[in-house]
Amino acid sequence: MAASAGSPAVQTPARASLNRRVLLLGLVVVAALLAVLLLNLGRDPHSIRSPLVGRAAPAFSLPPVGGGAPVTSESLRGRPLVLNFWATWCAPCIEEHETLVSTARALGRDVQFLGVVYEDEEDRVQVFLRRHGSSYPSLLDPDAKTAIAYGVAGVPETYFIDAAGVIRAKVAYPLSPEAMAENIRKVRP
Amino acid sequence: MTASAGRILILLALLVSAAGAMAGFAAGRSGSAAGWRVTRGLAYAFAALMAAANGLMVWALLARDFSVSYVAHVGSRSIPDWVAFVSLWSSLEGSILFWGLVMGVYVTVATRANRDRHPEYMPYACAVWLACGTFFSFLLAGPAQPFLTVPNPPPDGPGPNPLLQNHVLMIVHPPFLYLGYVGMTIPFGLASAALLRGRLGQDFLRPLRNWLLLPWIFLTVAIVLGAWWAYEVLGWGGYWAWDPVENASFLPWLTATAALHSALLTERKGVLKGWTVTLVLASFLLTILGTFMTRSGVFNSVHSFTQSAIGPTILGFLALALVWSVWLLATGIDRFSTEGRLEGAASRDGMFLANNLLFVLFTFTVLIGTVFPLVVEATKGVQMSVGRPYFDRMAVPIGVALLLLMGVGPALPWGRATAAQMKAALLPPLAGGLLAAAVGAALGVRQPWTLVALSFGGYTAQVTLRELWRPVARRRALGAALGEAVLDAQVRRGRRRAAAYVVHAGAALAVVAIAVSSTMGTSKELQLREGDTATVGAYTLTFVKAEELREPHRSALVARIHVARGGRDLGVLTPRMNQYESQREPVGTPAVRTSLFEDLYLSVMNIDPGQGTLGLLAMVNPMVAWIWGAAAVMALGGLAALVPSRGVAPAAVRAGAPSPASSRVPAQG
Repeated sequence: MAASAGSPAVQTPARASLNRRVLLLGLVVVAALLAVLLLNLGRDPHSIRSPLVGRAAPAFSLPPVGGGAPVTSESLRGRPLVLNFWATWCAPCIEEHETLVSTARALGRDVQFLGVVYEDEEDRVQVFLRRHGSSYPSLLDPDAKTAIAYGVAGVPETYFIDAAGVIRAKVAYPLSPEAMAENIRKVRP
Repeated sequence: MTASAGRILILLALLVSAAGAMAGFAAGRSGSAAGWRVTRGLAYAFAALMAAANGLMVWALLARDFSVSYVAHVGSRSIPDWVAFVSLWSSLEGSILFWGLVMGVYVTVATRANRDRHPEYMPYACAVWLACGTFFSFLLAGPAQPFLTVPNPPPDGPGPNPLLQNHVLMIVHPPFLYLGYVGMTIPFGLASAALLRGRLGQDFLRPLRNWLLLPWIFLTVAIVLGAWWAYEVLGWGGYWAWDPVENASFLPWLTATAALHSALLTERKGVLKGWTVTLVLASFLLTILGTFMTRSGVFNSVHSFTQSAIGPTILGFLALALVWSVWLLATGIDRFSTEGRLEGAASRDGMFLANNLLFVLFTFTVLIGTVFPLVVEATKGVQMSVGRPYFDRMAVPIGVALLLLMGVGPALPWGRATAAQMKAALLPPLAGGLLAAAVGAALGVRQPWTLVALSFGGYTAQVTLRELWRPVARRRALGAALGEAVLDAQVRRGRRRAAAYVVHAGAALAVVAIAVSSTMGTSKELQLREGDTATVGAYTLTFVKAEELREPHRSALVARIHVARGGRDLGVLTPRMNQYESQREPVGTPAVRTSLFEDLYLSVMNIDPGQGTLGLLAMVNPMVAWIWGAAAVMALGGLAALVPSRGVAPAAVRAGAPSPASSRVPAQG
């Protein structure tokens, strides 16, 4: 390794001069680094984009809580659908419940809301719904087959599906009224 | 009331630091002693205002004054006072306020210590510190205000992030990190001043090196405390995951370590001044990049403060600091004089250069791995992550090479060496290397990299001990008693040299312990029912019972596991799964039984008290405690190097003629 290797300092000293090589190299590195950081500002690193967004929603046919004929995804075509995976043991689900119920009530028949119960028992769900109220059906998901098809990693998770049956957005945190409104816009023309 | 007072203090700190920065630059240009006096006064005022603002916030936190926005955000009536106190740095705004306090203390001490010294550099340096102080005051006055008035104060607050209350290490880790991060501002200011002057004199290298060493010590401790916390709390059995925020603290440590070595070469030989200064600037810039990583929410990490509005502001400051540094280097670097010259590769000089190149390579490797996902996201819109395999594959050879250099470098003489000298210096330590590898192989080490690390560690250990012993032996030969010889060689005279070898011993031990612990462990995933027994390593585990506990802010599922080894009862370990009210996912807390040579590490994967079933991750991790110990050795060695040694007291150097000999490090004691 020669003494001058890699070090600009070993060059012969000049008087109060501008080292253009250092300036140019430095500015290129600085610009590249800043550009990358700038482009990523405002991105939420915790949101893992679902590969399902932009694709047809997986079909399902699930029995509603409290009994009755199974609800199929086919029968819901033609209207936007908000599909919310939840459980009674999940604290953030309780937090967003109010928003879901009131939005579903406000939108009436324009947008269909459905809950899918995740890893829970029917009687507990019924107690929960009696206590907290509801304005849309919740479905049971035996063996979590539908949750697996949607790639649910935890609850709550909410999928926004448009009238043609294409998933337009996925939210993996408790919905605030603002987040709800923003995502509803993606599925309602 | 309190909030308004706090806002006034912050605004005053902003004004005072901005005025001080301008006064400092003016005094630097004009060389006016009065200007320097004014700058110092403003620096002390800045520190006093920051201290007052922090005192006010602590008072508000303890008084549970929820009319102050930060208290309403993190305070709670149900938390004990000590939690209220440490929540000063538990959340974004408070941590920046605390940052201001640390900055104030550093600026005060560095200014006071040098008020009559280095007059050509100090006003510029102080101006740069206060310019950084201006930025952090601006953050507190605008984007990250802790002192907003809450019009209708709530009766109670939510309390700080429960994860921070989970372990005592989380209370000490952040202050050490801030002491490391903020401390890099001081050498940054000194290096900027040298570039503005176009001169880096022999006498100025000592303060530069010492002010770099101090934050380096804190950063070393902070990194290891963070690793220790991850090990004791996160429950996956390891201590380092190459998480972006871990990397954020590691990057400036790498460049600072390189700078400490390069500065030694500059101090001894008068060469590589521009290079040393570049590394010092880079260390500071990387701390700001690290601040951006932890505070902007751009990087995905276990402990980033998310959804923060200060990202763009910190990015703006980073841009300014980067452009400033590049400009300073471009205009100043060619004005530095080179006094000496470097010897070829086969000398200690050459080893210093190799060390520097390896550390810089390490820095780029980690930096690229950390930033690469962002590049891909920005250009291709694809999410990806760079995992441990990349980092491990790159870091292992570099780390092992550095370990070898720690042995070869100090073994070689300064300057040119003859073939016979080199043989005499380099061959004997091979015995230590072979011995360490043989002991390792006898104990069952088969992994090639681990054997390499052991042999290099043994080599380096022998060189380090020889270099520590050599000056003692010389004094013994002259008839000194052993105690007297050690005292004179290591404490009174060659303290900095001895301290450096102590740091090396710690570092070598750390690398070996990391190599052994990460390759020689045993790991088992067990599915147990109550009453079941399983073995891991030499331990017998009996799953006694699963319990559900309710605590005020969390509920916990606890597994009681009876542990025995070789028929000897070692008591009960209780790994647990905590569910905090404010968290979506449950958080496990592992149980670790530490002994001298290995840890038994139990972590709950799933647990069901109703069914009496338990999924348990059981690991035996060898030599983990040695990593923490090695870091303590490094930190203590660093501290010892900071204490001026009597043989080369700075006063003596300054009083006498500036002879290059007396300002040099006594290499051979």
